[in-house]
Amino acid sequence: MKEFSIQSGEAVGVVAAESIGEPSTQMLLRVFHSAGISSAVVTTGLPRILEIIDARKNPKSPIMHINMAKGIEKNYEKVREVRKKIEEVKVSGLIKGFTENLKSGLMELELDREKMAQHEINARSVMSKIEAFGADTELEGDTIKIKIKKKENLKATRISFVNIRGLPVGGIPGIDKAIVEQAEDGAFFITTVGSNIKGVLDIEGVDKEKAYSNNIVEIMNMYGVEAARNTIARELYSTITAEGFTTNFRHLSLIADAMCFYGAVKGVGRHGIAGLKESVFARAAFEETVKHFVNAAIFSERDNLRGVAENILIGKQVPVGTGFVKLAVKKDDLKKIKSKDKANK
Amino acid sequence: MADERGAKQERNCRICLNGKETARVNDGAAFADEVRRNRRQGVISGEVNVSYLKKLNEVHINTDKGRVRVPYIIVENGASKLTPDLSAKLSSKEIDFNYLLRRGVIEYLDAEEEENTLVATEERYITNETTHLMVDPASILGITMGVNVYPEHNQMGRHSISANFMKQSQGLYAFNFNNRYDARAFLLYYPQLPMVTSVPFRTLELERHPTGQNFVVALSTYYGYNMKDAVILNKAAVDRGLGRSIFYRTYSDEERRYPGGQKDKIKIPPPSTEGYLGEHAYSKLGDDGIIEKETLVEEGDVLIGKTSPPRFLEEQTTFGISEEKNRDNSVTLRMGEDGLVDNVLISETSGATRIVKVRVRHIAIPELGDKFASRHGQKGVVALIVNQEDMPFTKEGIVPDLLLNPHSLPSRMTVGHMLEMLGVKAGSLAGKSFDGTAFSANGFDEMRKFGDILENHGFDRFGDEELYDGRTGKKFKAKIFTGVVYYNRLHHMAITHLQVRSRGPVQILTRQPTEGKARGGGMRFGEMERDALVGNGASLLIKERMLDQSDKTTIWICKNCGDIGYFNYIKNVPVCPSCGSNNLERVEISNAFKLLLYEIKSLHIKTNMKLKSE
Repeated sequence: MKEFSIQSGEAVGVVAAESIGEPSTQMLLRVFHSAGISSAVVTTGLPRILEIIDARKNPKSPIMHINMAKGIEKNYEKVREVRKKIEEVKVSGLIKGFTENLKSGLMELELDREKMAQHEINARSVMSKIEAFGADTELEGDTIKIKIKKKENLKATRISFVNIRGLPVGGIPGIDKAIVEQAEDGAFFITTVGSNIKGVLDIEGVDKEKAYSNNIVEIMNMYGVEAARNTIARELYSTITAEGFTTNFRHLSLIADAMCFYGAVKGVGRHGIAGLKESVFARAAFEETVKHFVNAAIFSERDNLRGVAENILIGKQVPVGTGFVKLAVKKDDLKKIKSKDKANK
Repeated sequence: MADERGAKQERNCRICLNGKETARVNDGAAFADEVRRNRRQGVISGEVNVSYLKKLNEVHINTDKGRVRVPYIIVENGASKLTPDLSAKLSSKEIDFNYLLRRGVIEYLDAEEEENTLVATEERYITNETTHLMVDPASILGITMGVNVYPEHNQMGRHSISANFMKQSQGLYAFNFNNRYDARAFLLYYPQLPMVTSVPFRTLELERHPTGQNFVVALSTYYGYNMKDAVILNKAAVDRGLGRSIFYRTYSDEERRYPGGQKDKIKIPPPSTEGYLGEHAYSKLGDDGIIEKETLVEEGDVLIGKTSPPRFLEEQTTFGISEEKNRDNSVTLRMGEDGLVDNVLISETSGATRIVKVRVRHIAIPELGDKFASRHGQKGVVALIVNQEDMPFTKEGIVPDLLLNPHSLPSRMTVGHMLEMLGVKAGSLAGKSFDGTAFSANGFDEMRKFGDILENHGFDRFGDEELYDGRTGKKFKAKIFTGVVYYNRLHHMAITHLQVRSRGPVQILTRQPTEGKARGGGMRFGEMERDALVGNGASLLIKERMLDQSDKTTIWICKNCGDIGYFNYIKNVPVCPSCGSNNLERVEISNAFKLLLYEIKSLHIKTNMKLKSE
């Protein structure tokens, strides 16, 4: 391993930044479109890299990869059962059509028996969910008649109609879609649009050790920073390689390390790791110059000039590469030693 | 409910006049047809365009300005309305284009109405569904692209590039160039007509304003000197005037009046003026302070001597009002340029101030770094000018003027470039010029035609030549495609771009080197360049770029209190103004940092600097 290790003083951070910055600019110029059968639309390219680097709480397209528990992973029927439990079902997903009367506050939902059978949901449970929302229901054949309390205006009525249709009646909230896919070794797994690790882990038949989400913040809250660190590196790597670029994994893992250094995932930027730099000058040189100087004055901050940015600013040799090494014996010390030698003689 | 909506749609085809819904009809398509019929009969204006949009079930009528419209021949029942009879009358000039417009033979369509048509490119492609016939297949191209030759053989993007080059080319831009005082003008010495032109080229009378010359081009490399987009020129050809041009630059200045009755004066500034450039600089001026015609001028020479009144009013001194000291405000020749004074114009502006214009002429002989381009978006920079005897030559003794790297062609797919090479080569043997209008001929037929001519004159029918290396005299193993192409000299020349700096002016505030050619500046060493050095760990090189070669200054820092001090030259000791200590150290820092310290100080924030020896 020794021959692969980095020499001391190597500017690993800058090289890592360049290694991710260069493909990013290329991505801006060249949009790589993959035509495929991929059922879930995932954020790719530069927008996704920004999402990861900024440690956004709500990524545009959260996705989960759920493996099946031992024993059922090759049984398609059972995996489908699990899928049914995972995918969130809303009222609107169970109806053929609806009519609404805003004036009287009446809405009729025409239930789709086929879909209901598919999701193993009966009309009663749908009705109870709607009643919990605060509306009176009545079943008449295949139609549920709903009457809501009088609202102050028609707009409010319409909004509550929309809300009723959007009520979840089954599955895990936040998971819009679940698709069963097959791996090369024949094992089935589920990919989802939308992410909710906590909800998925409660489902029976799911491999509780291997539920993966691309939502970094969710991973951190569920499994801790180390897991989040791995997810950042992994997501960055897959985003970059998916665009047809190659970057050494070590650069990305360094970025992930830097982002997780403070015990929780921090974005790269003013509010994240760039704003937490030790040096006043380095922070002031980045963004919000005056704010940093004023705060430095208030708290009587001291800049030890240990970083690169501040040393370039004042015009000192930067402590990187050839500037990293310092003499162990100083000039003055040398004189002392010499005079001692003379005295000894 | 769905039925209800459907029924509603059937009853309502909206009619939008200039984008605004004005009426509704039952059958939109029939309505649009009726409008069209009336337009063709001259009942309504020919400038009205109507279209029926099936998907939206809307009729759009447009009568507003700013629509691009193209003329088309109307086709009815599978027959062009421009009958052979009318066609014959048109060629005998019995009738004209406007007659056909009035008679409903030709109509103008805009982009929206074109969506309702089925246009045949040529008469033989007309079917029963066809509604229009193109006046000429080349009419799908506009002016800029129509001027290009063989555009159908080139990649689309090359035409826009070519159109850009056309704007930058030097040529005979105006016949009255001698009486004009353009700020910047280029004039080709021996402009030639292209041997292949197109109909739009001739219609625009561009023959009167040629922009280039016909170069003998060989598609060959030359000892690695024409890599990428570099080209090689024949020195003998350059000496004979190939690509030679005049570069005119007009310098102008006027005697301005200032509030308070003061005035600029055009004269040789007396040595007492502020900012006097030295006697030498004004030596070429005439007695009136203006340079004489046909004087050789170099960079820094004064063309118009001028003095201006001081910018601020003089302070009163103890000796009363001192003698007014004027500033030198002379016009000097630009940095890096030279030439002869072509003409001087003295006139008066509308504000009754004297204005002087000096036109300097520089003979720009093609040199290394000058840019040339053919009409197919193939540009190149001169990388080497080779003596004729060292250039490759044919057995007839023909030496190419320009060597183009053959790798320029496959990736750019400019087949038109090669077709022009072949065609002009054939044309110059047969004494003919050819037509290269878009879609006017089949490329393969053209190639065969050119090949036949070449063969008749004893040349290879594919334009290949056996070339001999001028250096060794040995025959090249491969036959080399040689022909003649119309090349433009573009106005990006080495003389207008060349810039160097070792030492030079600095900015007043930051003391960093200036930016830009006119200010004698250097190349910016920016953030990304800095990052590259940091990434390489070249710490001393960063220090050199960012400090030693930039804004290095020394300040005195108090070892006692950490404030900035100064050196008292009378007592010969450094002094700290805040604590009065003389225990200070000289420290090398960047001037930018010094400014920052001052600025922080102005925010009422005190900075303490603790020094540490290394």
